Amino acid sequence: MQNVDAINSGIPAIPKDNYLTNGFSLKSWLLTKDHKRIAIMYLITISMFFMAGGLYASAIRLELLTPETDLLTSATYNKVFTQHGILMIFFFLIPSIPAVLGNFLLPIMIGAKDLALPRINLLSLYIYWIGGALTVFALLQGGVDTGWTFYTPYSTTFSNSYVMAVGLGIFINGFSSILTGLNFIVTVHTMRAPGMTWFRLPLFVWAQYATSLVMILGTPVIAITVLLLAIERTVGVGIFDPAIGGDPILFQHLFWFYSHPAVYIMILPGMGVISELISNFSRKKIFGYEFIAFSSIAIAVFGFLVWGHHMFVSGQSIYAGMVFSFLTMVVAVPSAIKMFNWTATLYKGSISYDTPMLYAIGFMGLFLIGGLTGLFLGAIGLTVHLTDTYFVVAHFHYVMVGGQVIAYLGGIHYWWPKMTGRMYSEFWGKISAMLVFIGFNLTFFPQFIVGYQGMPRRYASYPAEFQVLNIFSTAGASVLGVGLVMPVIYLGASLINGKPAGDNPWMLPGLEWRTSSPPPTENFEKTPVVTWEAYEFGEESGLDLDGARRRDQVSTVV
Amino acid sequence: MSDKHMETGEGHIGYPGYIGVFTILVVGTIFTYFSSFWDLDSIFPGANTLLALAIAFTKMTFVMLFFMHVYWSPRLIWLSAVASFFWLAIMFAYTMQDYFTRGLGVFSV
Amino acid sequence: MATHSDTHHEEFHYHAPGLQHQFEDMKQQEESVSIGMWAFLVQEIMFFGGLFTAYLVFRSRFPLAFAEASNHLNAFWGGLNTLVLIVSSLTMALAVFYAQKGNRNMQVIMIVLTMIFGTAFLGVKAIEYTDKYNTGLIPVTGWNKKVKESDVQHAGEPAKGSEGAFVLPLIETKAEASAAADDHEKPYINPNGEFQWNSGRHVFDYAIEKEKSGKAYLTAAERVGYFSNGEFDPNKYRDKIRIFYFIYFVMTGLHALHMVVGLGLMSWLLWAAFRGSFSGEYFAPVEMSGLYWHFVDIVWIFLFPLLYLLGRHFLAGGAH
Ligand SMILES: [Cu+2]
Repeated sequence: MQNVDAINSGIPAIPKDNYLTNGFSLKSWLLTKDHKRIAIMYLITISMFFMAGGLYASAIRLELLTPETDLLTSATYNKVFTQHGILMIFFFLIPSIPAVLGNFLLPIMIGAKDLALPRINLLSLYIYWIGGALTVFALLQGGVDTGWTFYTPYSTTFSNSYVMAVGLGIFINGFSSILTGLNFIVTVHTMRAPGMTWFRLPLFVWAQYATSLVMILGTPVIAITVLLLAIERTVGVGIFDPAIGGDPILFQHLFWFYSHPAVYIMILPGMGVISELISNFSRKKIFGYEFIAFSSIAIAVFGFLVWGHHMFVSGQSIYAGMVFSFLTMVVAVPSAIKMFNWTATLYKGSISYDTPMLYAIGFMGLFLIGGLTGLFLGAIGLTVHLTDTYFVVAHFHYVMVGGQVIAYLGGIHYWWPKMTGRMYSEFWGKISAMLVFIGFNLTFFPQFIVGYQGMPRRYASYPAEFQVLNIFSTAGASVLGVGLVMPVIYLGASLINGKPAGDNPWMLPGLEWRTSSPPPTENFEKTPVVTWEAYEFGEESGLDLDGARRRDQVSTVV
Repeated sequence: MSDKHMETGEGHIGYPGYIGVFTILVVGTIFTYFSSFWDLDSIFPGANTLLALAIAFTKMTFVMLFFMHVYWSPRLIWLSAVASFFWLAIMFAYTMQDYFTRGLGVFSV
Repeated sequence: MATHSDTHHEEFHYHAPGLQHQFEDMKQQEESVSIGMWAFLVQEIMFFGGLFTAYLVFRSRFPLAFAEASNHLNAFWGGLNTLVLIVSSLTMALAVFYAQKGNRNMQVIMIVLTMIFGTAFLGVKAIEYTDKYNTGLIPVTGWNKKVKESDVQHAGEPAKGSEGAFVLPLIETKAEASAAADDHEKPYINPNGEFQWNSGRHVFDYAIEKEKSGKAYLTAAERVGYFSNGEFDPNKYRDKIRIFYFIYFVMTGLHALHMVVGLGLMSWLLWAAFRGSFSGEYFAPVEMSGLYWHFVDIVWIFLFPLLYLLGRHFLAGGAH
């Protein structure tokens, strides 16, 4: 632990001994057990998958610029949107915040030297690489055209594409997610520093914990489901084949048993980041800590009870549909609790509009829209009209991109100085945050309208009357694309010429800000003893934050 | 963690205990084998299934409590054991509520 | 900085064998490993849970065909295997017990015994699978034994080509004996190695008998699934039996795969135990492998009644 004077001295310098300087060979990276290095390797891989998925997205948007099928053939288009979905969901969204930010920060935030099972952590990275490589290989061979949902019997019997190989890639990748979740659960239980009680944990940790529960309880089910699908496809017989009395809807049950909770794997960590950002950039203790903490757990639990809302029109019993519809309304409550608490935290806070905070505020608006339109789709009557239209596409992009991606970007900016020891350009950060927000809304808001008017998803062509809104959408996607490329540039540039950030550039009380930036290999020089509550901005935190802030202002002026 | 943990040295039932649990498991296996041939449908339909599952659950409980030392384990281990069965129950129940109510009542086709 | 603090750590503190750098003490490490193992088992339960769900769905939709198919499995071998696994669970538990006591020799003996019984289980499984192969009960076309019509000498006598192959006596009950004799039973001719069902429809007949007494025995799915144009359709009935065998092979296959992994774990454990790596203070690997082994045992404790036993009373009770 850095002593208080050093933090408050206002003379930032990058410490010589940190996790980045502890070995420069390739081996020191590939065989590392350091959670921070593993997180960095995840960050690089995930960014590449994000870019690949983004390329597919731009192909989709370009094709949809005109009503005709011109840029891509229908068959290619099917593959393009499938691959966009598979890369983005399984290889970007699910590992994004847990594997990068969670991996890097969770041990530091609880005052541990590392995750409890560092070798398992490295194994999870390798599994992710193997699953990813297999998937990319299959995509290069020709890809799949089933949609990311792999619905049977199309995927088992009729599709001529590489369902097996991609399925296997996802199967393997699933275990990476399981192992990460397992590691987090163990770590939170056994590795907390002295004084770090459960209710002193940052809410980011609570969110990671809840996510990990979903990973452990849900992911194996998708693994076995994909395995059954692969077996059925290989051997030509199985339980999903209606021709011999099998039931394709069973596939949907098993698939969504995981894949609805997986939506929470994709949003809960984002909510955790937002809780951090909202409280810290309002410089105010978060409102209703326990409510936010337990709402994460509640989401993880109730999230398992609603999967049937993806199957309202698939042949599922109407009675089951009613139950699932009702429970879907219930699961909205914990998310709403979080929204209210965040809003209450902002009230009378001294808000500073730094880049991460811009993302956090963007998240609140976008997630609100995404969440509320989810209720439209969960209502068993209305959904008959909206199923498989662009309304659904817009809804889940508002949650996934407006929620998780925005939170991920916010988190990356927020902890960038901790991860690299350098400050990025705040000016370009703000510009890019605003471009992302504007571009995103311009892309996806029109899709609510065309969807509501009945434009179906997953087609390369559409009636000419929808063209104007689709042009808006494609234009927005270009803006969004620019907004997303910019961070790569200015964050990359900050590695070379960024101002050394100092240990605590945001002047915050969290444990991760009480070690050097970048942190040493074992995170703290001495195991910290926690004597303060989470988000404590007063004297109790042991940091003279006000004084440090004044000195910081002086030093930047000079 | 629990003060009844392993390292206090009483984290198991000792040699005779293990043999006792083993005997129960063997008896359970033999009993479930022979009872499966009895026609218990006269009691109520599905009585055979219920009996077989009851025996299986009993055997599982003994294996978990004594062979896997759950009996001496901290609450968290109990919790994870119970939670996994709870989640299984969710998967079974919510899937089956679909199959059992298909085509019922006014919605019958 | 890490190396700096590490060396000091080594110098001034007693460093327990097997204690990893991220932990403060042995207790913390043991707790972590144990929670981690249990979390792993939770995910294993959910992994098999997907299969059990599939089983539940189809058993409840086609109980008669499932009973028909299940009755044809050899419950004796299944039961024997259950006992074999239970013995191996006992020896595994004792291996942990002796590891805890620091008794290296007994520990090694118990691990060897566990491995022997584990292998025996797989052996019995192989015998059963071979039998399914010989009788056309593998649900995959082409994966069964191929027997041309010309290979069969006389109907009712054992086929010549099967001399070398191991065929189990499948007749266990009176009803099955009479079924084997009646005209439902056909000689095994299978030129393409297809899935076959030559063992009739006794459970179905039993249910139809019961239906006559006014009880609704068939499920809604069965009323559609076994009939074509109001007539019993043996091919559709066979398809449902095929689903049972598909589930049987996937479930027991994955279980056997877990056994193989378990045996691999045991080999490593044996080597480590033989070298004396474990003591009364440090035996977590033995304990964790034990948890895994017992878990695999528990899966079988459920597979045995679900796959082999349920529905057996249909035959035992009825003399028809
Ligand atoms: Cu959902």
